[in-house]
Amino acid sequence: MTSLILPIQTDRLTLRTFERSDIEGLMAYHALPSVQRYVFSRTRDRSEVPDALNVMRGHVSLQRPGDTLTLAAVRRGDQALIGHVALHWSDATAGQGEVRFVVNPVHAGQGYAGEALGALFDLAFDHFRIHRVFARSDGRNHHSIKLMQQLGMRLEAHYREHALFQGEWDEELHFAILDREWQRSTKVKDLPVRNRVA
Amino acid sequence: MPLYPDYPIATDRLTLRPFTRGDVDAVYAYRRREDVARYLFDVALSREECALAVQQRIGQVALEGDGDKIILAVDLTKTGSVVGEVSLILRSADARQAEVGWIFDPEYQGQGYATEAATAILDLAFGAGDIHRVAARCDTRNDASWRLMERLGMRREAHFREHALFKGAWDEEYIYAMLRREWLGRESSFSAPLRAGP
Ligand SMILES: CC(C)(COP(=O)(O)OP(=O)(O)OC[C@H]1O[C@@H](n2cnc3c(N)ncnc32)[C@H](O)[C@@H]1OP(=O)(O)O)[C@@H](O)C(=O)NCCC(=O)NCCS
Repeated sequence: MTSLILPIQTDRLTLRTFERSDIEGLMAYHALPSVQRYVFSRTRDRSEVPDALNVMRGHVSLQRPGDTLTLAAVRRGDQALIGHVALHWSDATAGQGEVRFVVNPVHAGQGYAGEALGALFDLAFDHFRIHRVFARSDGRNHHSIKLMQQLGMRLEAHYREHALFQGEWDEELHFAILDREWQRSTKVKDLPVRNRVA
Repeated sequence: MPLYPDYPIATDRLTLRPFTRGDVDAVYAYRRREDVARYLFDVALSREECALAVQQRIGQVALEGDGDKIILAVDLTKTGSVVGEVSLILRSADARQAEVGWIFDPEYQGQGYATEAATAILDLAFGAGDIHRVAARCDTRNDASWRLMERLGMRREAHFREHALFKGAWDEEYIYAMLRREWLGRESSFSAPLRAGP
């Protein structure tokens, strides 16, 4: 595996590892209950966000199974932290990876998550040679369900009341995509029309 | 919960009871077979391995903590022959989650014995066990097993593709599940003799 080259530029975003100075941007969304469902580094409240940031600052590559790569998604124009995406290497022999993503609700609905995830999938399949990427979602999170379908992921599981989450029955969906199913770079590296050779 | 059932459990044609040391040969008769082991995690067992498995099963009669198993021998009541085994595993005491499994001697397959024994174990799980959801899993090629799940009224909740390696090849797996209210509310439409539910 060649070394990982960061940051990654997409149309509107820069994906890079977390920095100390991201604390303010992270504070704005990481401890929200609606966000907690989807992150690898859980926090109970805002006082725990600095610890979560420290953990995520350490998520810089996938060296061995169990490692997580977490990338801050920063808007290219004003450098605002709009959310983050993470790839967790869950199984080495079977080449399995799990992705998670969060977008600050203030910036939701603008396609940022899809743009960041497209780049993360490229990384997972092309750079890290992952065989299958999966993502979990709350059964009621229609935004995230739609997003995963747009990315070409297949619904593989729909668990009903299989666990308790914050005292309530949970409904969980699993989406997955195999390396040979991933339509590379459709969203990410499409050149703007003006740059295409006529 | 916790669950310490009274044994034996009688159905119309079958008796479900804890294993005893005398069961080694009967278990060896089916666990030695390649066709039985094909979709099990275990390979075909030697007689020594069967003796060890039976030894272990002798104590697997109650559920208290996560991971506890009840594994019962299934006798044909009329003749006393062992026709197979059924299992109930406690996955989460908190969320009242369990998993069922079955292995039957091919000499006795195709007569509804697995359906009848599985019905008794589901009665136990949802009745005295107060389990909220019972799941079962199998290789997608294991038609006999997923058809049994459907006969029991379980719903297919997951179809995982290439999510793991199984015996040297990509695994493809179904997970079926059933909720307590679905079990209690079901119509006993299949022909397997049922004892009155709780
Ligand atoms: C999975 C397994 C337990 C299923 O056994 P089975 O004999 O097919 O199941 P049943 O005893 O319920 O019998 C059902 C069959 O008997 C028929 N049958 C006859 N009388 C019946 C009755 N009174 N009630 C229900 N079915 C009856 C059914 O029509 C069905 O036949 P079909 O499959 O041709 O439609 C068995 O194949 C097995 O042990 N496999 C090997 C181990 C294994 O793979 N275990 C599962 C791992 S996930």
